[in-house]
Amino acid sequence: MRRVLIYTVAFVLYAALLCVTWGIGTKQAEKKTEWQLDYGVIDVHDTVAGAIDTMLGHVARIAVRHVGSAEPLSMERMSAGAKELDIDEINVVNRDGLIIASNDPSCLGVVMAGDPVMDQFMQLTNGVTATVSQPFRPHARNPNFRAKYLAAAFPGGDGFVQVGLDERRLYKMLPSILGYIFDEWLFGRTGFFLCSDLQTGKFISNPSRHRDEATTLAEAGYDVEAASPYEIVADGTSYGKTFVQTLFGETCYCRAFKFGGHLFVAALPDREFYDTRTEFISVFAVLLFAVLAAFSSLLDKMLRDSDRLKAFYASAEKRRAKTMEIAKTIQTSALPAPLPDNPCFRLDAAMQAAREVGGDFYDYFLIDSSHLAFLVADVSGKGISAALYMMTAKTLIKDTLLAVRNPAVALTKANAELCRNNPANMFLTAWVGVLDLETGIVVYANAGHNPPCRVANAEYVQGLSGPVLAFLDGVQYKARAFRLAQGESLFLYTDGVTEALDSKNALFGEDRLADTLRAVGSAEPHHVCNIVRAAVAAFSEGVPQADDITVLAVTYVAPPRKASRSFPPTQAGIASASDWLDEAIGRFVGDGQAKVSKETISALHVIIDEVCSNIVKHSGASGFDLDIEVTRNPDGVKLTFIDDGAAYDPLGHVDPDVSLAVEKRPIGGLGILMVKKMSDSLSYSRQNNRNNFVVVKNT
Amino acid sequence: MQIEKKIEDGKMTLSLSGRLDTNTSPDLEAEMKLDGINEVVFDLANLEYISSAGLRVLMTAQKAMMLCGGKMSVSKPNATVMDVFDITGLSSVFTIV
Repeated sequence: MRRVLIYTVAFVLYAALLCVTWGIGTKQAEKKTEWQLDYGVIDVHDTVAGAIDTMLGHVARIAVRHVGSAEPLSMERMSAGAKELDIDEINVVNRDGLIIASNDPSCLGVVMAGDPVMDQFMQLTNGVTATVSQPFRPHARNPNFRAKYLAAAFPGGDGFVQVGLDERRLYKMLPSILGYIFDEWLFGRTGFFLCSDLQTGKFISNPSRHRDEATTLAEAGYDVEAASPYEIVADGTSYGKTFVQTLFGETCYCRAFKFGGHLFVAALPDREFYDTRTEFISVFAVLLFAVLAAFSSLLDKMLRDSDRLKAFYASAEKRRAKTMEIAKTIQTSALPAPLPDNPCFRLDAAMQAAREVGGDFYDYFLIDSSHLAFLVADVSGKGISAALYMMTAKTLIKDTLLAVRNPAVALTKANAELCRNNPANMFLTAWVGVLDLETGIVVYANAGHNPPCRVANAEYVQGLSGPVLAFLDGVQYKARAFRLAQGESLFLYTDGVTEALDSKNALFGEDRLADTLRAVGSAEPHHVCNIVRAAVAAFSEGVPQADDITVLAVTYVAPPRKASRSFPPTQAGIASASDWLDEAIGRFVGDGQAKVSKETISALHVIIDEVCSNIVKHSGASGFDLDIEVTRNPDGVKLTFIDDGAAYDPLGHVDPDVSLAVEKRPIGGLGILMVKKMSDSLSYSRQNNRNNFVVVKNT
Repeated sequence: MQIEKKIEDGKMTLSLSGRLDTNTSPDLEAEMKLDGINEVVFDLANLEYISSAGLRVLMTAQKAMMLCGGKMSVSKPNATVMDVFDITGLSSVFTIV
């Protein structure tokens, strides 16, 4: 369909260009015709004029020879000479320009020198110039006819002989002059000349080549009335106008001039004009056709090529979309499931994949009961290979972290492995942190990744450990650390956040992220992630998401370590205190928390039993409090007994002698000894009328 | 605390499991009717810990047996209980099997 269109357009264009060429061709042919006619007319005129000059010059030189020198001669002698030479006038002029002899008596005594017309001849006296010719002009003394003069000098410029030819005599002479000029005289390829007697209209030229019986212009079809003959002016600047005549049944472009009682016509048959035009057009037609045909077929080929390209791109786009889908599935499936609730931290993460996969991922897992690993990374590259590389990187980092716990060592090892097998020259940035759940200390390694932000004061953690991963083999990543306070959150992200663009191509940027986080306050990780994502979405509204947006927030919650409870001063109170120890230890000890051995717990039970029994039995207190605190460095449990009974320092007693034979021992009194022996430190104080007894047992 | 009592030919075996402290020692004391008994064995394999209140019961039994010419022994105390025996010097007094 389009092909037809192309060739139709090309054809129309060709036709239009042909029309233009036709116009140009016509103009060209007209110009050439004019030029040929000009040339023909000038040629024939100059030839005729030249022939007359030649003839008159010949006559003048004969006269010079006959006269011999500038001596006065009789009128009879001069008249006889004119007749003999077949000219109208003959004058002998001396060196001074005085006519000293003539066949015309009125000429005698005329002085040529200084005369506006005749002074021209005086140059013949310079001894160099041989002849001087003047064109036909009205006769000086008889303006009714035109005459032409020519003079030839006597040897040495000693005067000259001037001969004059009357136009009427020329009329008689012309047929004989033209006889030899006009035969078969052509111009152009087919142009020809006609010359006819102005009075009779009879041809003096030979039209035989037309194989026509015509003997006059009228018989040849020449319309005298319609013709526009012009006389050629002396200086030859005007050659008349072109007109059209039918001659010998052929339409001709003609020019004409009158000369010597004859009409000269230069005729160029119009077929020559048409031939010229046709030639011109044919050349262009062929050229144009070649150019247009070549152009059309080229255009057609180009369009067909572009169709094939379009089809290729369309199928490539489909393949790419499928690839992206697979890659996205890999990427999404690599993300970890939420961790079970843990009292020591709260964590939330999200990845919003761009339409074209960017290779972000995040991960988090417990290395052991007290160390949480969390990381955010960004793989360069797109597609399945990047997604698979991402899986490799994720697995490597996780495996090494599980093995060594130190993120810097993990990245160093993972990097070596990633460098070893990286045919596509991909690389990734990663921020890996390991949170000590007991202390809040985050040991981290940053391989060229965006600095995370501490939400509380919107302060970026700027430390860098080394270059991007999978880039340089043998890099040793340095571990860095900082401490998260109780309840403090850390926010991790990828450049999809900070490099999100708005409709004016401005970046979301670290400052805007810091402002957003500052406004977040102490929200839960889930909200932190949502607020940042919403801020980015609002910022880049109407702009397609260019890169994956990954966010991860983790809040550190220091494990509970201290609790207090009041009990009545009864046997049941002691039992409750014992149960309270189990409950408190159960609450403080667990995943990521302190560890207290079973033996220690048993010892603590004994201690509680002893101290509480003393209080209940001896102090008269209205009740007692038991504080239980799990301590760190050294790890242990601190028990504080507080009662409002009588002041009593358990340490102010001498220990019973346990070396006595059993029958000699008092039953009782062993309790405090046992407390002393089973604990690591004891202290007593009396504050606000209360006994304060502190027992520490290290594990 | 659970107490399992077995009397065979004047030999009383008390298997204790759980905690022997202020709260539970009165129960043990109540179980110990030593008339006609010339041997008492405390099986402590399942005893978590013992406080001075519990020691008091054991010492009572020991004294009673010494008076009537009988025997008393404790068997399989765990580390914590053994610690208490050591602290109180009772490990050299009791027959521990």
